[in-house]
Amino acid sequence: MRTRHWVVWFALSVLSTGCASLTPPPGRGTHLRYSPHGAAVTMGSPRSSGDTGGSAHVGDAAELARRSALAAHLSFAGALGEVSRSTRRISSELSRLKTSSGLVGHYRRVFVPFVDHASQQLRWMETGLAMATHLSTLASEMEDPDMRLALLRLGGPRLQSALLGSLLLSVWLDLLLLADVVLTQCPSYSVERLAGEMDQLWTMLGPAMTALASLEPVQVDAAAADLPALVGHLTGEFAVTRERALKSGENLQKILLVKDLIESLATASVMKMALPRMWGPATSATLGVGLMVGADGVMMGTRLVVSAEWVEMMRRLVQAGVISLPAVSAAVRIHAGQLLMSESKRDLPRGVRQALGDGPEVGAMRETGRTGAGMAEPPRHHVLPQEFREWFEQRGFTGDMRIDKFCVRLEVARHQAIHGGGNWRLGRTWPGEWNQMIMKALRRAETRAGQMLTPREILKVVAEYMTDYGISMNFTSCGGR
Amino acid sequence: MSDGRSWDGHWKVRLYERVRERGYESLTAFAEARPTASLLALAEELGENDLNAVQVFSGLVAEAERSHRLTRLVRGQLVRELSAHLPNGWPAVLDEAHRFDVAHALARWSTYTPETHEKRVEQAGDALLASPPPPGWRPLGPDDALLLALLPDEEA
Repeated sequence: MRTRHWVVWFALSVLSTGCASLTPPPGRGTHLRYSPHGAAVTMGSPRSSGDTGGSAHVGDAAELARRSALAAHLSFAGALGEVSRSTRRISSELSRLKTSSGLVGHYRRVFVPFVDHASQQLRWMETGLAMATHLSTLASEMEDPDMRLALLRLGGPRLQSALLGSLLLSVWLDLLLLADVVLTQCPSYSVERLAGEMDQLWTMLGPAMTALASLEPVQVDAAAADLPALVGHLTGEFAVTRERALKSGENLQKILLVKDLIESLATASVMKMALPRMWGPATSATLGVGLMVGADGVMMGTRLVVSAEWVEMMRRLVQAGVISLPAVSAAVRIHAGQLLMSESKRDLPRGVRQALGDGPEVGAMRETGRTGAGMAEPPRHHVLPQEFREWFEQRGFTGDMRIDKFCVRLEVARHQAIHGGGNWRLGRTWPGEWNQMIMKALRRAETRAGQMLTPREILKVVAEYMTDYGISMNFTSCGGR
Repeated sequence: MSDGRSWDGHWKVRLYERVRERGYESLTAFAEARPTASLLALAEELGENDLNAVQVFSGLVAEAERSHRLTRLVRGQLVRELSAHLPNGWPAVLDEAHRFDVAHALARWSTYTPETHEKRVEQAGDALLASPPPPGWRPLGPDDALLLALLPDEEA
């Protein structure tokens, strides 16, 4: 009863603060709290700042925008740290495996490639995390909260793919560790069979990894949707191999040793929730126990699946449009384990989904962020003019930061107003054409500064003009190299 | 903040309605009552997300053309840019960080200048960098003595 009451309260509070962060009514949603690993940022009530000459209302809205951008940024940094820790752990375990007498023993030609697969996958994740860190650093140098969020969104796909990829990779790592134990401790286990099993599992895992590495939103979301089932399957295979390995043991002492070894490797694993306990009662006892949001986070029965801090972190990222809800849902289901993995096609329970940020705004954002449902898409326009691609490339706008990443959708009428200056003699007395204007501003600034502008400086200039022109910083990608 | 709404409909009508609602005869009078506010701050005070800085500036240009006070408007625009980008006044030393702020303010100034005045604004910018004003210089309006010396009125 009490828990149930709490769930409702939590959902309501999430809904109300959730709405406030996007279109804040003055004086509401003023106590945003975020605490990753103990560090808390408590936001007090907003001061009305009249120093810009604006009204108190404008000051409040600006202050709230700054705070929610800061909160999203902290979540971004938190998630980045978490995923980085996970990839570092995987990396060190992989190097350890490469010196092990199991995988790198007699059958090294067969088993070392499995370790190499993992190392190769780790590489794109590490590159992605480095890129996301770079964008996060750049974002922290932006005064404009919209530009700050825009840069975080730019890093979102990298973070999201690394998050899911590292979950999948840590499952693969467990399989490698299991194979290592089998090879060193269970001589009667058929090596041929083990190699076949590993090969087959990698065949299943590989395409998901490729999809995640592609960073293509459609592919990533599809992979995310399938991920819980895939991890579920891998977990099942892990359990089967483990049973077989135990049965292959010649004497009790050996069996106990193998059991210990296997048990110790699975405790740090994402599979720990899903794996049936080795000698204990079957996990069917958890059937019928759904996920619930409790004070400590998302619970399944009495077990904590993910912490409240994690939920809060993800909620902010989903709401800021940095990562997608399907990706976060997949992560939750994987953490929740067996039961939910097998129900992967079903949505998370409503309360949990809301806690993760599935508010109406997010739905709308995703709708407009992609090709809207059957609606004609407004033309996209490069904010950093295409004709000067090389100029921007020379100043660091390459890769994830290439100018094609900074496009905006503009309605035709607005587009004309901005390009032609509308109907108010702007065209004649003031060359208000965006491309010409922005290049002029950047070039003048560079000449005056006496040195090449940095990406930070360029974005600062651009952010201010976008605000001046009333163009929102909802960047989208557009065609180009 | 901005969602592109400011370009919808008759923003010119909106702009003047708001100016009148606030008790001003002209947009210029409204702006001159807030000589150090940025164009953005003026736009935000006049409209809630449905007017933007560029529109305010174009309105100011149109009025100044009619009253032949363009040079005054151009001086006033430098005042706005300087108070936004160098809130503590002209830097004593032009170090790395300040160099960009000065460059940014001057670059913005030249884009918020009617074509007729571009050349003079360029020269004024050169002059400011060649013989810098006293540290802490922060003009509070278009009648600032140094500014007037830099860019005197020409119009009759």
